[in-house]
Amino acid sequence: MVEGKIRVLMSKPGIDGHWRGGIVISRALRDAGMELIFGGFQNVEQCVESAIQEDVDVIGLSIHSGAHFAYVKRLLDLIEEKGLKDQYMLLVGGVIPARDFSELKKMGVANVYGPGTMTKDVVEFIKENIMK
Amino acid sequence: MWEKEYLEKISKAKLEWEEKFKDSKERDGKFETDSEIPIKRLYTPLDVKGDYLDKINFPGRAPYTRGIYPTMYRGRVWTMRLFSGHGTPEETNKRWKFLYDNGETGFSAAVDALTFNGIDPTNPDGSPEVGTSGVPLYCIDSLFALTEDIPIDKISVALVVEPFTSAPVCSMYFNMAKMRGYDIKNLVGTTQNDILTMTVGYIPYKNVAPDHLLRLACDFIEWTVAMKNVPKWHPINFTGYNYREGGIDAIQELGFVFASACSHIDNLIERGWKVDDFVGRLAFHLAAHKDFFEEIAKFRAARRIWYKLMTDRYESKDERNHGFRFHIQTAGSSLTAQTPLVNIIRTAIQGLEATIGGCQSLHTNSYDEAICLPSEEAALIALRTQQVLSDETRITNTVDPLAGSYYVEWLTDEIEERVWKYIEKIEKVGTIAKALSTGFLYKEMRDAFHRRQTRIEKGEEIMLGVNKYAVPYDEVTDVFRTNKEAVKIEQERIRKLKERRDNAKLERILDDLRKVCEKEENVMPVIMEATKEGATVGEICDIYREIWGIWDPPLAI
Repeated sequence: MVEGKIRVLMSKPGIDGHWRGGIVISRALRDAGMELIFGGFQNVEQCVESAIQEDVDVIGLSIHSGAHFAYVKRLLDLIEEKGLKDQYMLLVGGVIPARDFSELKKMGVANVYGPGTMTKDVVEFIKENIMK
Repeated sequence: MWEKEYLEKISKAKLEWEEKFKDSKERDGKFETDSEIPIKRLYTPLDVKGDYLDKINFPGRAPYTRGIYPTMYRGRVWTMRLFSGHGTPEETNKRWKFLYDNGETGFSAAVDALTFNGIDPTNPDGSPEVGTSGVPLYCIDSLFALTEDIPIDKISVALVVEPFTSAPVCSMYFNMAKMRGYDIKNLVGTTQNDILTMTVGYIPYKNVAPDHLLRLACDFIEWTVAMKNVPKWHPINFTGYNYREGGIDAIQELGFVFASACSHIDNLIERGWKVDDFVGRLAFHLAAHKDFFEEIAKFRAARRIWYKLMTDRYESKDERNHGFRFHIQTAGSSLTAQTPLVNIIRTAIQGLEATIGGCQSLHTNSYDEAICLPSEEAALIALRTQQVLSDETRITNTVDPLAGSYYVEWLTDEIEERVWKYIEKIEKVGTIAKALSTGFLYKEMRDAFHRRQTRIEKGEEIMLGVNKYAVPYDEVTDVFRTNKEAVKIEQERIRKLKERRDNAKLERILDDLRKVCEKEENVMPVIMEATKEGATVGEICDIYREIWGIWDPPLAI
């Protein structure tokens, strides 16, 4: 059970600069009462460092480059290496083929959001699942 | 455009008509354009103000409202230029030849995120993205592979790189062309070189500050066109498309590109050039978005605004330089991952806007682009969409067929007026570099993101499959995957190049580049030397970073 405001880190792994999705979701989460930390471009080391420093509950990755598997694997490996497995709810959004969703979830992603996502669905998912 | 007495007669008849049908029902909801311009039930001669010869005139005649050439597509249809690139230069070359064999008439290189950001494939931060969103062009060898067996003296090539990497990538292209025996004075093509694409269209990864980007963009224009090294090249393509896709409207799209163009022109004039030394080669790249008539009116208004800028503001004397030349891309952000075949229809309609609007060149999106890079099949359908327009519909029979439509003429005027006001708003902040560094344009983008998302979530902007007749996101198309081996192939390409080149000589050239960057000297001559000797894009951009520092854009949430 998370006490107080839900804290979310929004991070862009890699170097692709499509930024609309990350900003739109960030604003929606903030408007829904969450504490939003916008990491911008971060490699996985910087992302995990921010997650620890900022004591977040959720890590959101915005990936539009097609390299989602590579970055998610790197991040999850590092989280496990640091003994932080299952500490964070990991969400991934971007231009991601629907057929990749199940594989990403198997890897440890809580939910994946593709094109045409409604922001309220992301808000609801976080609120419902973080309380459990 | 009509006699006063006749207009009075129409006005009277209109009042009678309104009175008679005042109880006729209209649907609930707003009648407005995508840019939120309120639209009346009906337009009549009363809405068309001004003189035909002053405001509309003939194609190829000022103010070019009807088109920049007298015969338009009766002379030659638009260039069919698909934005294309994936995996490796060799694979992209194969795709290019496939499209060329199927009737494509121009090429456009979509580069990957590393090429955009001046990062070599050995850099672990970017290595997973080698070839995933475009073709990797990291060194001169890549340019040879990209254009193998392609007659680059006969077909124009657009290199879609921005000011941070336009000098290294394009110098590689020019050097490659020279080595293949071509005179670069005759080369035709375009460099996007658009400061706003890699600052607000996308966010830059470890690029330099806007002042330096503006200088790099202008160095490139100066060296190619003003100094006549590659005089037939289009050294810049002000790319409203990329920020329009974020959600800014048609008015802002034109406002951004014109304010940006003026900053570049002012910079070159400050360097001592006359406007007619270079301005005829400046080009534009706009979106054909969802609002059919608004987009057509936008293209017509753009031509008129550019003409006025050229003559009133810059006092250009050469009328060949007054035409607004533009490439169009249909709206990627209008496409849905849900029921993706519907995207073929959306794209066809947007292609119709572009061609009725008199574009010089056109990219039509593939129907799978909301999900992945285009498959070969999807790219072919996109090309065929243009060919249906050019070869089957007979829209090319006459020039500017919607001129004289009361609605389209009124909307053209309305857009023009609003764009002038918006240009003024940006210019109050300062140059385009200042509008970036102060965060003004980031706030405009941020507001646009939220405005559009809110409209979609409220159902005010309909996206079939997403917010009306919604279906789950579970695509039925094949998903095109880029080559997983690309990173190894590209790392190996760089390794071989480094083995072959004269590293000591290159070091000396790169030292010269450091000195040039510190002074106000044009970077192109020394970068031409450097890439000829095998410098990579990453090596050149690292020098920019070293001398000028990395810029952190003032993003707004």
